Amino acid sequence: MERHKNMKRKIVAVISGKGGVGKTSLTASLSTLGSNDSTINPIVLDCDVDAPNLALILTPKRKEQIHSEDVYTTLKANLIEERCIQCKECIDNHFCEFNALRWFDDKQIPEIDYLACEGCGACKVLCPEHAFEIKSVKSGEIISYETIFRFPLIYGQTRLGSTTSGKLVADVKQFAQNLREFQESNIILIDGPPGIGCPVISAISGVDYVITITEPTPSGLHDLLRTIELVEKFNIDFGIVINKADLESPFQEKFKHLIEETGYNILGKIKFDLSIPEAMSYAEPVVNYAPNSSASISIMEIYDRLKNQLWNHQ
Amino acid sequence: MAKIICITGGKGGTGKTLVAVNLATLFKNHGFNVLLVDGDVENPNTYLLMNGKLENSSEVSFFEPKIDEAKCTKCGLCAENCISHALLYIKDAIPIPILNVCSGCKLCYKICPTEAIIADSRVIGLIYSTRVNNIDLLIGELKPSEARSAVIVKVLMEKIDILLNDKHEKYDVIIFDTAPGAHCDVEELIQRADYVVPVTEPTRFGRLDLLRIIELIDLLKKEYRVIVNRSSLLGFRDQFLNELNDNNIQVLGDIPLDEDIVKSYCIGVPLMDNHNRFDTQGKGYKSFQIIYENLTKWSGIKT
Repeated sequence: MERHKNMKRKIVAVISGKGGVGKTSLTASLSTLGSNDSTINPIVLDCDVDAPNLALILTPKRKEQIHSEDVYTTLKANLIEERCIQCKECIDNHFCEFNALRWFDDKQIPEIDYLACEGCGACKVLCPEHAFEIKSVKSGEIISYETIFRFPLIYGQTRLGSTTSGKLVADVKQFAQNLREFQESNIILIDGPPGIGCPVISAISGVDYVITITEPTPSGLHDLLRTIELVEKFNIDFGIVINKADLESPFQEKFKHLIEETGYNILGKIKFDLSIPEAMSYAEPVVNYAPNSSASISIMEIYDRLKNQLWNHQ
Repeated sequence: MAKIICITGGKGGTGKTLVAVNLATLFKNHGFNVLLVDGDVENPNTYLLMNGKLENSSEVSFFEPKIDEAKCTKCGLCAENCISHALLYIKDAIPIPILNVCSGCKLCYKICPTEAIIADSRVIGLIYSTRVNNIDLLIGELKPSEARSAVIVKVLMEKIDILLNDKHEKYDVIIFDTAPGAHCDVEELIQRADYVVPVTEPTRFGRLDLLRIIELIDLLKKEYRVIVNRSSLLGFRDQFLNELNDNNIQVLGDIPLDEDIVKSYCIGVPLMDNHNRFDTQGKGYKSFQIIYENLTKWSGIKT
């Protein structure tokens, strides 16, 4: 399959602010629609490294071809005990801004709080005896394989405890760019983490387009507005998907007024549809499980609009 | 001393905030002094579910290096030692701070031989303290486009430490509401808790993320009991509860799908704040009563 020469490669991130509003279900469906489209060559990245779920739906074609590698990008300080002369200067002069250094009275040496340590290297530089070193530790794994839908899935999973998720998100994106398939692809779909903090910033940095999905509830609106503020600060083009759009709620009016009537680009609305959780329980993208369901029809419309925004707009 | 109950969940949107707000309300209804702490600083939602307002804010600042060009000798020592590459240095030029990658370690400020680096700061978030319906609320909020949520969580925890060390501290129960995920912000809150309550849903995603958050809770050596929200979804309740049982995962209770819950969520009145709005015989209402009973039994919080 050769991609159309005039279709420039686009990187699209699906994010949400609020969790559990359908990022993963939408990404799974958009990517399989892409794989059935002769003009599209997708690569899919699950950058929700704290809770990567996409692999539950986009399963491997051959289990024996799952590639997994450990990532060592988290930095942590380590005390070289024999060098420490117990001068306590590290504590007295407050070397560590993260309060990761504490005086261990029993042994009369500093102790490093592994969770608090940022690996910034201040202690290493400031200690007159050079008793600290900075070491790379395992931050997680990057797993990649060809899915049953024939496109590659790459996902990161943090090692639990004391690691920063944002760095691993960047590592997953870097890993994908070095793949052979990357050169042949024309869309990179990223399933992002919830929130608006470091991992989300990392997921959307350098992307061409952001899909932000939400639901018409007070939390959904609040988190959407914060997501929009973030995406606008980074100057990225975005479209909104409203899930559970027909939710019976006295809040609908306010939501319509603040979002739909304010000129934001609405990529589409998905009505509440049990086919979505049903599809998930059978581990299938909803557009495959129930192609005629109202959710699937809406997602197909979103897919077409997305393509249009990505390649016909400029 | 106040007991800390941490509501968490791994997966987003499972009902953490819903549970946190309603448990806080139940404790209040039973005459306890309750502090609810919103530790989902990327998107704090607790006050929205209680029609509360964000008030009494205090600023959370973060270090920002500024170069005093008159003092800078362009030696490049600061950039050379900055592990996060937050200072861009080209030979014989004044270094340029790249603020979004700065870790705030202040090493540049501490080692500059001519004191040419000024420790400036910018506001990256706010802490609000407010009181809604006799529940005290402490909320952390990160500013959009800022990355350092952990700093806000740290300030929240410092406030909790001060509270806990105060002899006149008045709270019986402190409830934490965490962010989704299993990252450092979540870990920081779980670490302080006496009891951890992960909220999940009976789906494949729910199960996988629950197992991951339990792994983290085990790592931190904390006691936990699970709440299964939306338990009646597609008839998976019994199968899901059996599976938890088979894995020796204890359950505090389950919350079925319920229209009153959706309504309460959308109008910003906690379901258990009963002002004759909701059906006290309803499925959701009753499930929260059972959960509350089991929680007080488990935690030994008594009037």
